Amino acid sequence: MVSINYSAREVCCKIVYYGPGLSGKTTNLQYIHSKVPQNTRGKLISLATEADRTLYFDFLPINIGTINDFQAKFQLYTVPGQVYYNATRKLVLRGVDGVVFVADSQPDKMDENLESLANLEENLVEYGYNPDELPMVIQYNKCDLPGVMSVEELNARLNTKGRPFFQASATLGNGVFDTLKLIIKLVLEKAKATGQGTAAKPRVQAAPTPAAEKPYPEKAQPKAAVQPAEQSPAATATAVEERPAVAETRPQEEPEKEEVSREAAYRPYPGSDKAASERKAAALGVGRSRSEELPAEALGRNIGAGTSDRQEQQPAATATPQMAPSLRRRGENKKRGFFKRLFGIK
Amino acid sequence: MSDDSLIIYEAEITKIDDLLKKMLKGAEAKCALLVDKDGHLITRQGFTHSLDTTALAALLAGSFASTKEIAKLVGEPEFSVLFHQGKKDHIHMSIVGERSILAVIFDDRTTIGMVRLYAKETAQELAKIFQEILERHEPNQGISNEFADMAQDKLDDIFQD
Repeated sequence: MVSINYSAREVCCKIVYYGPGLSGKTTNLQYIHSKVPQNTRGKLISLATEADRTLYFDFLPINIGTINDFQAKFQLYTVPGQVYYNATRKLVLRGVDGVVFVADSQPDKMDENLESLANLEENLVEYGYNPDELPMVIQYNKCDLPGVMSVEELNARLNTKGRPFFQASATLGNGVFDTLKLIIKLVLEKAKATGQGTAAKPRVQAAPTPAAEKPYPEKAQPKAAVQPAEQSPAATATAVEERPAVAETRPQEEPEKEEVSREAAYRPYPGSDKAASERKAAALGVGRSRSEELPAEALGRNIGAGTSDRQEQQPAATATPQMAPSLRRRGENKKRGFFKRLFGIK
Repeated sequence: MSDDSLIIYEAEITKIDDLLKKMLKGAEAKCALLVDKDGHLITRQGFTHSLDTTALAALLAGSFASTKEIAKLVGEPEFSVLFHQGKKDHIHMSIVGERSILAVIFDDRTTIGMVRLYAKETAQELAKIFQEILERHEPNQGISNEFADMAQDKLDDIFQD
C-alpha cells in the first residue's frame, strides 16, 4: 500500500523490479541513479555478492519533490533473480505498490522468464495480493542484442494478460525511464482509485487534533529546509534536525556558542586547576550532546587542559572589559590568603 | 495485507516521539528509529543528522525480515530482539506490535542492558498506541487526483534521458 505520512508530509511508494537472474534489474537502477538529478535521488545501496550478483536487494530512494505540500517519495527495490534466492526475493515483495517485471529478450532465456513470472505471482498471492490488480509493467530488456525475440513473440509468451510493456536496453538506458514513469503513474492511479479521491491536503486539515494544529505552520518551515538536504548526503551534516525539541538534539551551534560565552565570562586563575576542572564539569554536565558533537580532542583539551591551554586563553580574557573585576577578585583572594595565613585561619 | 495501511496522525506521532525521547534520555542512547516492516521510516529521534535514515530504515527492515526467516527455519515464529555490535556504535532492534521495528543506536556511554530495559518498556507502550491506531479501522483515503496529476508533470521534468 502507498504509505502516507501526514506528520512528516510524505507519500511513499515501494516499487520492486522483479525478473530472472541477469535480466538487468540492478542495471535499471544503476542507470536511473546515474541519470536523475542528485537532489532527486538518494544513495544506491546494493547488497550483492563479491561477483556483483544481487544477494538480497538493491535499494534506490527517489524523491520527485513537493506536491500539494507532500513529498512524493518512491523506493525502488530489485530482487535477487537467481532461482535459489526465493526466500529473500519474497521478503522484498512485502508491502509492494508496483512491480516492474524485467524480462530477458533473448530466446534461450524464455524459460527463465516464465519461471520467474510464475514465481512472482505465487509470491504475491502468498502476501495476499491479487496479481491482476497490482500495477505492473513488463520490460523486455536487452533489445539491443542481436537475435532477440520480437515484441509480438515476447508478448505472446509473457504478457498474456495484456499488461503495459516496453522494450528497453538498461545498459544504454533506452526505455528505462519510460518504464519507471509508467509504473509510477500506475501506482499513483491505483492509490487514487483505492481511496475516495480525497485530497491529501484536506485530509490533514480534516483530522485536526489540538496538538496537531499548532505545530503545522512552524513545522512546515524547517521541513522544507530539511527535505532537499536529505537527498544530498554532503548537505545532511549541516541540515537542522526537523524535530529539535528533545534536549539532546539541540542544534550544533548552541553548545559551541555556550562554550564561547563561558570562556569569555570565565577568567582563568593562574596557578589553580579550577579552569580545567570547571570546564571538564561543564563538558560532562552541560549535556551528553557536547561530547557527541565536539570531536574527541575538544573533550580531551577540556579535561587535560595544560599550561599551554591556559596561556592561550589568558590574553583573550585580558582583552575583554570584564577583566578588571577578575583581577580585583584575584587580589582579594590573595589578600584573604594573607590574613588567613596571618591569623592562622584555615 | 495489501490494503491495510497504517494512518498515523500528528498527535500520535507526537506521543510516539515523546516516548522515544524519554527512552533515549533514560537509556542514554544516541538515536532511535521507528520503522515499518515494509521499510518505511515512521519517525526518528536523537542524533540522526549524519545518518541516511531512508536507507537505514530499508536495511533495518530487510535485516529483520531475513532474521524472521532464519527464526522460522529453527522453529521459532520470530526473533523479537536483534542486536548488532560494532566497535563504537551498536544497534538494538526490537519488534513493536505486529508491524513495526524499534531500532536504537547507542555507543559505549551506556550498556546493552540499559538499552534493552528501556527499549522493552517503550516497545510495550508503543505497541499499545499502534493497537489503538489499528483498531480505529479508518479506510485509506488514498491520494488526491490532483496529487497524481501533478506528480505526472514532475516526472516528465525529472526523468529525461
